Amino acid sequence: MTVQTINRAGTLLLVVFTLTAPWVLPLFVDSFWVDIYSEILIWSLLAASVNLLFGYVGLLSFGQALYFGMGMYGVAIGIAKLGFGFWGGFGFGVVLATAMAAVAGVLAVRLTWHYFAIITVVFSLIFYFLALSWKPLTGGDDGLPFGMPPLISIGDFELTLTDPDVQYFFIVLMVGACYALMGRIISSPLGRAFVTVRENDLRASLIGLNVYMIRLSAFIVSGFIAGVAGALFALFGRYASANFMFYHVSGEAVVWAIIGGVGTLFGPIVGTSLLIVLREELSHVWAHYPILVGIVVILTVIFAPKGIGGIWTSLVHRFAGANAGKGGDQ
Amino acid sequence: MTVPLLEIDDVTKQFGGLRAVDNTNFTLETGKLHAIIGPNGAGKTTLFNLITGTLPTTSGRIRFLGDDITDEPVHKISQRGLARTLQIKSVFGGLTVRENLWIAARSRYGVFAPFMSWRRCRKSNERADAVCEELGLMPHADQLAANLSYGDVALLEIGLALATQPKLLLLDEPICGMGPAETEKTVAKIQDLSKRIDIVIIEHDIEVVFNIADEITVMANGGVLAKGTPDEIANDPDVRTAYLGDDDDA
Ligand SMILES: Nc1ncnc2c1ncn2[C@@H]1O[C@H](COP(=O)(O)OP(=O)(O)OP(=O)(O)O)[C@@H](O)[C@H]1O
Ligand SMILES: [Mg+2]
Repeated sequence: MTVQTINRAGTLLLVVFTLTAPWVLPLFVDSFWVDIYSEILIWSLLAASVNLLFGYVGLLSFGQALYFGMGMYGVAIGIAKLGFGFWGGFGFGVVLATAMAAVAGVLAVRLTWHYFAIITVVFSLIFYFLALSWKPLTGGDDGLPFGMPPLISIGDFELTLTDPDVQYFFIVLMVGACYALMGRIISSPLGRAFVTVRENDLRASLIGLNVYMIRLSAFIVSGFIAGVAGALFALFGRYASANFMFYHVSGEAVVWAIIGGVGTLFGPIVGTSLLIVLREELSHVWAHYPILVGIVVILTVIFAPKGIGGIWTSLVHRFAGANAGKGGDQ
Repeated sequence: MTVPLLEIDDVTKQFGGLRAVDNTNFTLETGKLHAIIGPNGAGKTTLFNLITGTLPTTSGRIRFLGDDITDEPVHKISQRGLARTLQIKSVFGGLTVRENLWIAARSRYGVFAPFMSWRRCRKSNERADAVCEELGLMPHADQLAANLSYGDVALLEIGLALATQPKLLLLDEPICGMGPAETEKTVAKIQDLSKRIDIVIIEHDIEVVFNIADEITVMANGGVLAKGTPDEIANDPDVRTAYLGDDDDA
């Protein structure tokens, strides 16, 4: 078996599980786990947006919740205040998040390392407080609820997210499309340029790459992905809230990405699943469970800097008898 | 008269109180292998930094093939066909040799193509393989650059420059730290390249320089002390006293 076959099999397993989860999961566990799995898929996109920046371009953002929040508010304001339909609201959220990322990115990607991390936090804090205080538009502390418009409505035929299966498969479709998009970009010349900039930005510019534009495009794509996550989460919860724009949320996404494995496409899904399941199971029994999460993060950073995705990769390489560490960036 | 390859016109670089490059003037013509020599701290590397845009100039103009490139962004200067290796060797350690060369080759066709597959870029693949072959790096093509020997890293860095199809190649101490066999091979390669690409080489190994250079520029204290053929430089009294005379390596 080659590395590709094993990885393909793993991907196939994930896809099959995801497509059958509404029927398979209730056979083993309580059916609310289907909802939790939808949530995991959505949040994994936020982790994936961190991963795209950190794992591929080498920029660590602690402000991805801002674009998530923009996606959320875009949907809620679009539907509740502007009278947009389902797709109008969804599109508005994603466009708003992407535009926000373009504006913030123009300034942020001039910086690197901790300066970059700090400026991303600062941006997200500014808009967090703005969302909290601008009550008429955002609902402030209470958040902004909205009624769910139909997804499709032709004559008598109507699909709405109030049907749990419709909701589940709508989320799966959108999340799947985002991963397909990221997979495509990562294996394109632009994706190679991302990795090149991560490896050595001076050398990258000396071979004629516009490092600034490359970082900016990664930042915008990553804002787009976080925006889709936020828009989906608003539809899932039927409301938007500033709480999800707080830097605590950004930080969680960083943790999920790091534990899942930065620089691997599906690492974020693994990390997000693990930690959300852990939260579901432990938070009632032990209020201080975040200490455990903290310890796991520290151990990961020290002993497995490429996270679970990295461990998987090296296991697969060993199993397939291939040279470990060979061309490690897919 | 043809357009000069490189014109350094009253160029100064000030670091706080230190003038690393001090009102320097010189012109290089195409078709020659140029060498820059000079004692440690003479300002050679700093001059390369100014030419390639990695440091801003304090004053003066730099022209490449007639175009003013002073303080242009680094990547734009590279796109004009000016490539460079660094004194402290610099490649993409986490990528394989082939991937390193591929991205350098691809830089000429633009990387903002988010929907095509990088493995299907025929021209860049061919270019990368050709450079890999030319520099004898094929046995290491699928090895991570971080795992190469020092000499091979230096070769790969020259490869990165070549893959960008440069008109002018600036080499900053390319054979420093190489063993005798590697040195011989690399020097032969540089001579070979100089037949089709203009080269400026900074080098401390005087023997090598006098062997391969068509023209030598001697720098000291941020300025040009002398410029001429190897014979002229060897017989220049200023150079003999100021540099060759008291350099133990010579
Ligand atoms: N970025 C910098 N900031 C401050 N001073 C610098 C910087 N770069 C170089 N210098 C100083 O400028 C002077 C010229 O340095 P440069 O590296 O150009 O010398 P060089 O001729 O390349 O020497 P070598 O043969 O040792 O490489 C030195 O005194 C050096 O310390
Ligand atoms: Mg130097």
